[in-house]
Amino acid sequence: MNVYDLIFYLFAALTLLSAFFVVTTRNIVRAAFFLLFTFFGVAGIYVLLGADFVAIVQLIVYVGGILILLIFGVMITNKITSVDIKAGTIQTLPAAIGVGLFTGIIGAVILNTDWFIANSEMPESTLSTLGKMLLNEYVLVFELLGILLLVALIGAASMARK
Amino acid sequence: MRDYIYNFWQGLYTILVGMKVTFRHLFIPAVTIQYPSVKPQMPERERNRLYVNMDDCIGCDQCARACPVNCIEIETVKSIPGEDLGTTSNGKKKALWVTTFNIDFAKCCYCQLCVFPCPTECIYMTDTYEFSEFQRENLVYDFVTLTPEERIQKKKNFEEMQAKKEAEKIAAAKKADEDKAAQANKPAETKSDNKEENKQ
Amino acid sequence: MMYDWLYNLTGSEILAMFIVSLLPLFVFILPFALAAVLAERKVSAHMQDRLGPMRTGYHGILQTIADIIKLLQKEDLVPHATDKALFNFAPLLVFMGSYAAFAAIPFSGFFIGSKIDLGIIFIVGVTGLVVAGILMAGWASNNKYSLLGAMRAAAQIISYEIPTLLIILTVIMLTGTLSLYDLSEMQTAYFWNWLILGGPAVGLQKILLIPLMILGFLIIYTSTLAEVNRTPFDIPEAESELVSGYHTEYSGMKFAMFFLAEYANMFAVSAIVSVIFFGGYQSPFGYLGNTLGWTWLVPIEQFFWFTAKGLFGVFVQMWLRWTLPRFRVDQLMAFCWKYLIPFSFVILLLVGLITLM
Repeated sequence: MNVYDLIFYLFAALTLLSAFFVVTTRNIVRAAFFLLFTFFGVAGIYVLLGADFVAIVQLIVYVGGILILLIFGVMITNKITSVDIKAGTIQTLPAAIGVGLFTGIIGAVILNTDWFIANSEMPESTLSTLGKMLLNEYVLVFELLGILLLVALIGAASMARK
Repeated sequence: MRDYIYNFWQGLYTILVGMKVTFRHLFIPAVTIQYPSVKPQMPERERNRLYVNMDDCIGCDQCARACPVNCIEIETVKSIPGEDLGTTSNGKKKALWVTTFNIDFAKCCYCQLCVFPCPTECIYMTDTYEFSEFQRENLVYDFVTLTPEERIQKKKNFEEMQAKKEAEKIAAAKKADEDKAAQANKPAETKSDNKEENKQ
Repeated sequence: MMYDWLYNLTGSEILAMFIVSLLPLFVFILPFALAAVLAERKVSAHMQDRLGPMRTGYHGILQTIADIIKLLQKEDLVPHATDKALFNFAPLLVFMGSYAAFAAIPFSGFFIGSKIDLGIIFIVGVTGLVVAGILMAGWASNNKYSLLGAMRAAAQIISYEIPTLLIILTVIMLTGTLSLYDLSEMQTAYFWNWLILGGPAVGLQKILLIPLMILGFLIIYTSTLAEVNRTPFDIPEAESELVSGYHTEYSGMKFAMFFLAEYANMFAVSAIVSVIFFGGYQSPFGYLGNTLGWTWLVPIEQFFWFTAKGLFGVFVQMWLRWTLPRFRVDQLMAFCWKYLIPFSFVILLLVGLITLM
């Protein structure tokens, strides 16, 4: 086990533990802050996978943008910070069936997939290849996503003006 | 649109003007006085702690009467004949021993009203302004130059003299009474009443 | 590179990495913060015709050291009604965010914490942690001033990130690189190769770029100033209305942590601006080391130029602080959304057209 494995397990533990706390904590603001650590851990794992651009975009978009807006919204919304979220167990049987099925499917997929193992060399830079791919092969998807975001933006603005 | 560009330019320009002002002030010498190590120059007619030059004080009590807050306390004792108290610097003859001259600076309001009536100009304002104390009692300044023993002595001297005078007076009165009694028989009761009144 | 040298010296990958990652903190940030706090007080004092601290050491040069000792000795107060865990973690997160930015800052051609290709974007990304930390501190303090300050900080930083990113995008478009090292190397040799004077381009392109670049520099300097919450954009900690904003409840070492993060951030943003527009660690007129043939002198010279540029940026921040009054909240937002963002879009467009030439 070298140092990178150690760092991977650190980030994985961070992600899983904070995700667990997001679900179980009764305080909604705390849940939002635990979500921050989840995103951060995921970004760390991206870095270890050699996807540096994705990791940084994860930081900028999720930690710097979405999460902050989430916390902002939670804090600004009146009376939401003191609301107790129900964390008890209800309807155990259907839930157990659903979760069991889901784990079964996931487990089957994990075990039966023929995993493609890349050579362990770190890619030098993903940025230029990523850019070329986005603007050559996937340009239609890229542009459509841009238009979708623009439409959402205009819609939100027009709704806010009403 | 023109206003918009103009606003932008105006904002930028005024910031630069402001920055010029602050930059100039960066090199203007500071006006700060490093107080305990550098004392500020006080004005000529400053009013700070009083000082009493006891060599010149004739014990006239005028300063104590002028004081609006009664912070000056003076007690004097007459000198006995034959004692030479000297003269003040402006030639007045001193006739009273000043046994108490206390100024309570906790009460003093630094109005300088005590300075003007002084006939010998012995009470005046100094330039000392740092005399704070931890105990309020320490702010009562005693200006008398006599030692405590001397003060008691002077009082005793005066009392002795007084007593002597009284005794002489009584003796003289007795003598006169006897003389009068010898000369003419008059009711002695009223006389003795008068004598007691005199004493008081 | 420093890492390779240390790797050869210690023979251990982890140890070398550890030392390299701690080096900016102990060699640079702590002494810088000490000096900058004193400089701030001295600059402010002299701009107001005062003297500032004069008692500790010659002209008060030991004042901040005394302050740090005082802060270390102080009791670590945690108010009763706070969210303890978040309250204790927030200063760490804020400091982590501003310290992580130093990983990608090129102090000289020979010392960069990490020579990653995404330098600028990385710095912008990790600075997001600072916002999260500020919000955390504000919420965990359970104090109305802290919460208001944190809200204002978050709104302000998120808004001003947009013009910053747009100008960075302009520069990326012009130079074709995101790496701070490549950006610095591109502006080598003489000062007319700096991007503020059009970069290494020649002819008409350069002349057209100069006004745009100067405007871009003004915009990015203003918006980074707002991102580090300095006056005139200090509404998150506005002393006269919010006590001191999100760190009202903090004391002792945790407060010092916020303070250190603020000063580290101040240097980080002026370093980024200097890398983007003023050639980073490049000397404006060649190197003495190269002329004399002493190659060992070059990194030292580069470090000198880099810190000189960064410190000048910090000085201008202080200068502005004591020149301008604080913005009102609505003015702050109007300034960002109505002036900075449209202007940066125009610059982006025009620079795009010029690069096509």
